[in-house]
Amino acid sequence: MTTEQGTTQSGQPKRPGLTKGVCSEFTILANIKPGQAEAMRAAIAAVSSEENEPASRAALQEIGTLHDARHVIFDSDTRYLFASVFDGSWDTYIDDFAKTAIGANLDRIFSNAEGFPGIKDPTVKDWVAAHQASALGFATSYPDLTVQQIWKDQRANQAFQEVLDTSEFRAALDNPANAALLATPAFQKLLDQAQG
Amino acid sequence: MSEAASTSGPGVSVEIDDIQSGALHARPSPYVGRFFLLRIDDRHAGRAMLGRMLPATEGGLPTVNPDQGAWVTVALTFQGLRALGVPQESLDSFPPEFQQGMAARAEHLGDTGESDPAQWEKPFGTPDVHMGIVALAPDAERLQKALEHERAALQETPGVEIIWQQEVHQLPGGRTSFGFRDGISHPGIEGVGSGTNPHEAPLKAGEFILGYPDETGNLPPMPQPEVLGRNGTYLAVRKLHTKVAAWRQYLRSNSSSPEEEGLLGAKMVGRWPSGAPLTLSPDHDDEALGADPHRNNAFGYKENDDRGLKCPAGAHIRRINPRDATIVGATRLHRIIRRGTSYGPPLPEGVLEDDGADRGLIGVFIGAHLDRQFEFIKSEWVEDGNFIGFSGEKDPVAGHHDGTGTMTVPAKPVRRRLQNLPSFVVTRGGEYCFLPSLSALRWLSELKG
Repeated sequence: MTTEQGTTQSGQPKRPGLTKGVCSEFTILANIKPGQAEAMRAAIAAVSSEENEPASRAALQEIGTLHDARHVIFDSDTRYLFASVFDGSWDTYIDDFAKTAIGANLDRIFSNAEGFPGIKDPTVKDWVAAHQASALGFATSYPDLTVQQIWKDQRANQAFQEVLDTSEFRAALDNPANAALLATPAFQKLLDQAQG
Repeated sequence: MSEAASTSGPGVSVEIDDIQSGALHARPSPYVGRFFLLRIDDRHAGRAMLGRMLPATEGGLPTVNPDQGAWVTVALTFQGLRALGVPQESLDSFPPEFQQGMAARAEHLGDTGESDPAQWEKPFGTPDVHMGIVALAPDAERLQKALEHERAALQETPGVEIIWQQEVHQLPGGRTSFGFRDGISHPGIEGVGSGTNPHEAPLKAGEFILGYPDETGNLPPMPQPEVLGRNGTYLAVRKLHTKVAAWRQYLRSNSSSPEEEGLLGAKMVGRWPSGAPLTLSPDHDDEALGADPHRNNAFGYKENDDRGLKCPAGAHIRRINPRDATIVGATRLHRIIRRGTSYGPPLPEGVLEDDGADRGLIGVFIGAHLDRQFEFIKSEWVEDGNFIGFSGEKDPVAGHHDGTGTMTVPAKPVRRRLQNLPSFVVTRGGEYCFLPSLSALRWLSELKG
């Protein structure tokens, strides 16, 4: 798998950002409006706090394509970095994104950055493109997995582990009636995962 | 003045009589029609042609009953606007994907392999395609009448030439070449009219017509000057060849009885041949339901079928309009008006071998945002499945498959997974067109220089 310059998903000029498999990295660098660092810090803290965790998880569920995201304030409170990894191309879903809770959160944080027009403003794509810094390197351990697949895999594994914990499953393995099933290569793969 | 001119949604009054009827008028049933592509060799001739077409080009919703009227629609490609001598700064104000044209967007749209623009029927995808004219009518007589004016205008206008045409007509029983009733679903639009799904609130007018707020709360980006853009919209026009024999063979070889074959086809389409939706009739066809315009589109997925045990999330009609189903993204930002019309002879019932005939549909997809409507739907919803949790799976009917396609059909106790799907639809050509308002057509016809 090679890392590729992100191909544009709309008619807009080519976007920066590296892509690996189904994932793209997305990095924004912006100047903080003079005197607004504290307000930005407060907006970040509000969405990152322990108390906000359930709401934050629900918001991520709503988006369904965001692997991770981080906010950094640096250079003596003058500059801001937003870095994330998500599935697909950011501009494909930006209008959808603007309608979500995470979109609203980012709007509150980004409004402290110079020139940010507002997440629902039609020129927001241009602002983002102008402030996006392409990574020089981008690595991921699961380039073929979207957030949707990771969640599905997690649900499937949890269910599988619960089945392994039942005595009925152990009994079924010992039941000669199931010998044909156990002998299939597909089931052997499952049993291989069952060993621990 | 049409009745609809006085209607308006909350806070918006749509200038319906300035909008070409072809944009919003539902297809009649039955219907006959003709598509033309024209080349403009001389800008003065092109302008004169538009001027001569104007009296025959209707605006508004002329009749309450779509089966009564016949109408002619005039649209222009980016190359066509250029051929008419539209000023450069105005050309530059059109969205990039429209400027590039559909052929240039092929990779993004999944038009690859046998659907590659290099294989397209000429003149599709060439710079020669400047103008599109569509005439639709309930019968041949009214079609001829609607076309008389165009014929006269063309005769009087050397320098504008018809370079391609295609006759379309409803197949017996009102079905597509695959054998399914179509033309069922139509979105409601604020200030224009109600849709066919009573569970869907009408969409903002700006989703379909330039010059009005859209679902984001903004005005859609509009080409300038205002007289050119306002009350216009965009069409994605596609000639789609359907491989009906391959479709029937696939159903046959993946079923063990005619009943199973019928159910498999319905699971892939999301409706039974009659048009009855699987969500309302999951186990068998229901002719009465399929034929009832008050019931055949009156449903959502979330409440009773979010998992897709009745209608799979990957079924064609659920992909291209997920309604209220749980998906990645916001459905209302990706709605479109679809108008499919059939061409070519039907493959006789029961025939499983390809007879070599060209058959399929001319699909017209209408909306004010080519990028987040037609292009999004094709690339995210038809050519991928991550939005429904099946990354890599494509639309089993409309997707571009290479013979290794899969589709998950949810079922208890275990889902079925269809394997080795080939393409059943091949793109034979397509163009992005701008559908100007009547005022804009007049402005274009009066361009100077």
